[in-house]
Amino acid sequence: MSNTEYPEDILQSLEDYNIDIQDFIPGHGKGAKLLLNFNKISGIEQVEGIILQGKEIPNGIIADVIIKEGTKHEEPIHLCFGVNKESGIQEIFPRIIAEDNTDVKIQAHCSFPNADGLIHKMFGHFYVGNNCNFEYSETHYHGEKSGALVAPVGYMYIGENSVFINNFNLTKGTPGQIKILIDIYAMKNSVIKSNIRAFGKSKRDSIRIRDSVFLEGERARSIIKMKAAARDGGEVLMYGVTEGNAPYTNGHVECSEIVLGQGSICRARPFIRATDPTSSVSHEASLGRFPQKWLDELQAKGLTEEEATDILIQAMLDEE
Amino acid sequence: MSMLLELKNVSIPTEDQKCVIVNNISFGVKEKSIHAVIGPNGSGKSTLAYTIMGLETYKISQGQILFDGKDISDMNITERAKLGITLAWQEPARIDGLSVLKYISLGMKDKSNLVEEVSETLRIVNLEPERYLNRKIDESLSGGERKRIELAATIAMKPRLIILDEPSAGLDFIVIEDFMNVFGKIKKLDMTVLLITHREDVGMVADYGTLLWRGDHILTDEFPRVMLRYCAKAGLREFCKRTLRKDGEACFDEDYIDRIFREESLS
Repeated sequence: MSNTEYPEDILQSLEDYNIDIQDFIPGHGKGAKLLLNFNKISGIEQVEGIILQGKEIPNGIIADVIIKEGTKHEEPIHLCFGVNKESGIQEIFPRIIAEDNTDVKIQAHCSFPNADGLIHKMFGHFYVGNNCNFEYSETHYHGEKSGALVAPVGYMYIGENSVFINNFNLTKGTPGQIKILIDIYAMKNSVIKSNIRAFGKSKRDSIRIRDSVFLEGERARSIIKMKAAARDGGEVLMYGVTEGNAPYTNGHVECSEIVLGQGSICRARPFIRATDPTSSVSHEASLGRFPQKWLDELQAKGLTEEEATDILIQAMLDEE
Repeated sequence: MSMLLELKNVSIPTEDQKCVIVNNISFGVKEKSIHAVIGPNGSGKSTLAYTIMGLETYKISQGQILFDGKDISDMNITERAKLGITLAWQEPARIDGLSVLKYISLGMKDKSNLVEEVSETLRIVNLEPERYLNRKIDESLSGGERKRIELAATIAMKPRLIILDEPSAGLDFIVIEDFMNVFGKIKKLDMTVLLITHREDVGMVADYGTLLWRGDHILTDEFPRVMLRYCAKAGLREFCKRTLRKDGEACFDEDYIDRIFREESLS
């Protein structure tokens, strides 16, 4: 166990997401944690049943998170990948393994409060064993300047009878250039819930997210919910993929996007495929603006149209 | 009591301007009163409510709307809300990502004592704060709960005029009875209520009323007199005798009722 002093502006930025920063400073809170300050590991704290290891490499780290068989923790494991510099390259190569019969949550905080051309890349491998409850939440904040170039790739294997919840949230600050690829392979009787939320606020913001679920095991089920808003020239492309490749699999993709202001672009591309005659895969997509009646209801409470729109965007992105 | 809201020769056309929904009507709403606007379906009640609130697609083609003596005809919805006018909607939207606390607080000017103030407004509409504050405005709320939360959100604004659009629509009779008690509490808050309804039992909480009939203004008077005229126009003599009662007493003697019905049949 080691203690650390962590940059204050990174910690403060996390509070915007209602995160209690005390929870993940080593020596405080109950959960395991790994803190990265740019490319230096500044703190690691393990708890029983959870192994956290990291090795620094020239532009980042290689990290292992191993949850030992049967481990159950209510307190989340915090991974904080913070950078308070404006530019530079941060590359993360995590390997996350949840052995059989585990029940844990991981909260990854990617906070770059001063980003102005920063590059953050991740190439992650997840293995979730059988009979697990595993939740992975990744929250991004890229400051108010030009944001960052963020390009994570995640391959996730979810074992039999396991429940996997994936949450990705990029709704505050200026995102910048975002390219995310997630492939989730679901085995027999597993359940996948993937929630993606992003908000492009200006023409500097270009967000492209491909979230794919491959239902490879019998009776595996999944739902992908992608929600996005683009305003004032922002661009968002959401690409939700589900394939039913085993008997009695059931998947659904839902994309809802709101587009506001000149030059903003939202594109939703659900892609579904069933290769087994007993599988069922569906999708729905909606693009547009909020119903006028919703705006009227909020404006009748004294809000301007812009204030009402902001409230509705945030509500849509916060919706569970 | 002075007039808080006055409509002078107001006509409201359809959005394409081809037909008139409300035709050249004039009446006033006294400050701190409950004033019901009644009439059958299609008489222009809700159109009138949305026009007073200032919705974009409801514009007057002639006349003036005065609020506290000031012409607000050209003001938009936000400007009117900032003056102290608000509307509780007949079927308010469900916005899943908003909590009840956040929703009710949207129109509050002073948020220094937020939780306590919002809790108090929930109590006014007979909802327990501890059960509702952190709930979402989503499909898990019943129609009656959603309407109460809408009413609480309007009360929390501390407006001068609340327009209630068909508050009893879609509610069962037990809930309606409870809503009537809520109106009594609102009255004590010194707010003015413009109550849009087609139900005589809901309207009986009103001090005054206005009868609209096929877009025309028929009468503005004390509410029981307006209701009597409504029944006479609709030919509902027995219904009128049975329902026009306050505190168990008939509002009018039978001779008077018969006279009004005769007058109406002659007209």
